[in-house]
Amino acid sequence: MGVKILLEKDHVAGIRGYEVYRREGGYRSVEKAMKMGPAEIVEEVKKSGLRGRGGAGFPTGLKWSFIAKPEGVPRHLVCNADESEPGTFKDRYLMEFLPHLLIEGLIVSSYALGSNVTYIYIRGEYAWIVDILEQAIAEAKLNGWLGKNILGSGFDCEIYVQRGAGAYICGEETALIESLEGKRGNPRIKPPFPAIKGVWDRPTVVNNVETLAAVVPIINMGGEEYAKIGVGKSTGTKLLSACGNINKPGVYEIDMTISVEEFIYSNEYCGGIANGKKLKACIPGGSSVPILPANLLLKTAKGETRYMNYESLSDGGFATGSMMGSGGFIVLDEDQCVVKHTYTLARFYRHESCGQCSPCREGTGWMEKILKSIDSGKGKMSDINLLWDIQSKIEGNTICPLGDAAAWPVAAAIRHFRDEFEWHVLNPDECLKRNYGLAHYADEIHVPVTA
Amino acid sequence: MSEQQLFKVTIDNITINVAPGTSILHAARSIGGDVAPPAMCFYSKLQGSGGKCRTCLVEVSKGSEKDPRPMPKLVASCRTTVMDGMEVKNITSSKVKEARAGVVEFLLINHPLDCPICDQAGECHLQDLGYEHGKAGTRYEFQRRTFHKHDIGPYIQLHMTRCILCYRCIYTADQLTNKREHGVLSRGDHSEIATYIEKALDNDFIGNVIDVCPVGALTDKTFRFKNRVWFTKPVDAHRDCPTCAGKVQLWMRGDEVFRVTARKDEWGEVKDTADGKTGWICNECRFEKKNVNDWVIEGPSVISRHSVIAQGHYLGLKKPEETIVKVMDGQKPRFFMDIHDVSEVNRPNIDLSLIEGPATSDTFNGKQKD
Repeated sequence: MGVKILLEKDHVAGIRGYEVYRREGGYRSVEKAMKMGPAEIVEEVKKSGLRGRGGAGFPTGLKWSFIAKPEGVPRHLVCNADESEPGTFKDRYLMEFLPHLLIEGLIVSSYALGSNVTYIYIRGEYAWIVDILEQAIAEAKLNGWLGKNILGSGFDCEIYVQRGAGAYICGEETALIESLEGKRGNPRIKPPFPAIKGVWDRPTVVNNVETLAAVVPIINMGGEEYAKIGVGKSTGTKLLSACGNINKPGVYEIDMTISVEEFIYSNEYCGGIANGKKLKACIPGGSSVPILPANLLLKTAKGETRYMNYESLSDGGFATGSMMGSGGFIVLDEDQCVVKHTYTLARFYRHESCGQCSPCREGTGWMEKILKSIDSGKGKMSDINLLWDIQSKIEGNTICPLGDAAAWPVAAAIRHFRDEFEWHVLNPDECLKRNYGLAHYADEIHVPVTA
Repeated sequence: MSEQQLFKVTIDNITINVAPGTSILHAARSIGGDVAPPAMCFYSKLQGSGGKCRTCLVEVSKGSEKDPRPMPKLVASCRTTVMDGMEVKNITSSKVKEARAGVVEFLLINHPLDCPICDQAGECHLQDLGYEHGKAGTRYEFQRRTFHKHDIGPYIQLHMTRCILCYRCIYTADQLTNKREHGVLSRGDHSEIATYIEKALDNDFIGNVIDVCPVGALTDKTFRFKNRVWFTKPVDAHRDCPTCAGKVQLWMRGDEVFRVTARKDEWGEVKDTADGKTGWICNECRFEKKNVNDWVIEGPSVISRHSVIAQGHYLGLKKPEETIVKVMDGQKPRFFMDIHDVSEVNRPNIDLSLIEGPATSDTFNGKQKD
């Protein structure tokens, strides 16, 4: 049984309401934090080694210490609940079942950062969760955890929930800020970073839901204790939303010490591949991160076991590794077609590109069209190299990471599944009737022995 | 020392000193020539512009004297400020050339390439960009993007298919006019410049969007299909205008004023007037004053040799000596016929700048409705 910190109480009846949450030890961290003082809280978070859970994995304590503190200018904390990465639904679970955990984390973090007005920017599609959160905020306020002079500390804090209008790009922090200000959700050009000029040009920190919720156990148990969970620089626990061809899709909390194989096949987690099929490929961290074939997923290129943590998943770089990302674990079995899958993702990124900078606006649409023609048996051999060239011209040349996010899945699919693409080109009729299948994607990797 | 500390920056192995806060693009422009990266969306006279088109990407091979690490990605030179000791590679970097050719290709895959019927042809920045930084062929084999047509009023013609979404016209409307009536609708590759509800753009100074548009997406309706720019001659002129500085460029052919624009500098941006303000011109000067008597003509504009407009060779034009009589040994050429006796087009008595819309055969055969 793995360690559970965030979802420890998620099955207690009525935990969504304030009474039960408080009875189960909720809001203890606020009481503790108000005695500690902001600088000390930031220090605890730094010690905990907590890394941003939204996808990039940037150390949270470090991010907090960057916030500018000009005299007389209000600062803001913004909670990024615009969870729109395909395959990711962990924040939804957290907010839906444990809304007070997020509110508690927000109060502590707001206190640490000196944010008197804190926002939750939630994706428009999560309409019902807005009601849940607003009720939780109202309950917290009624019980004195929000409002003026919280617990007699002299600290005022209000939390507001703002709904997005359904754009993936608004999960990017500067686009989120633009949208929050009521503008078109175009990412801003950095620098200046939000820590200097964010919402209404005020210093702002934008953090993911899970990151802010994790502040609660960090304060409760202390940063050093929290850092003992997990391994290396992957401290604490991580929520994973597993989906695809597995027996038990859902949200799981892991302590980052288990292997990928255990996560997929153990009954405690995904419960193996559905219908007795074989594992073909997997995207371990949400649709943007590189897809890996079964053999490279379970073992690294060096032949070592791959673990579910930041370092091990990215072992081998993009050549043979992937990323932890946002924790959207998508599993593909032997009946899935990687070409079709890549086409679906390319279509998504084309649709979600904000259209501000040229490589992403034009390149994503071009990739989609080529993938569509390969998928429908109309592709040419030269299209594969063309796709590779297009993605390389998008990657790194755009304003925000959406360009990279659109380029990586295509790059990884070609890198690891090139023969499947070629098969589609060479068998235009057959590829419409059947899939390429597992082929050699689960074969043992030959590890060269060094002298 | 009261003198401001200057930053030393090296661009393509040329070292200059610039004031802190200068962008890489401006530093490169002060060197000039090929060292200056192309800029499709950045417009120094419009606050907040730039960073979008990615044509001005450069490689920073040394961050600064204090932190000599190179920057991991190519950066948009228009929005990156110089640091002391920074080393930048523009045309000397193969990465930059490759990325820029990629951007040019991206900008052109959905461009209609309708230059032969585009009024911007000859002064189009996308043409220049494609010529200087692009590749000869295209690898794009799909249908190009089209849009529903929007009529944005009597003065400005919008061709959305040609647009590269530089956002310059948005900033112009925000910063020069009372109220912005147009904006970017939709998202991604289907985003378009439009007014949300069909609306005419007729705010004063809105005509300047035509001058800032780098392509033929926003053109002057009063000049539409009237002439090719390289057939018209730019002359500097001014008038006493109550709304703007009134310092303009007239695009003339003979005594006819075909078009009025603001004066532009070597980077294609509107020039500053003598008092240091940007010489934006008002709608009245641009659209209503098409009579040469409205203006005080200062003289021919200086046109850069690289421009196709320089093909006119009108500046200090010397008429070539008529040689035909000498060639024909003193014989005068025989006059066969007057072309106007047999053809209905090119009637010298029809003033093209007075007709509405493009010239058609109806213009000349008398069927044109007045």
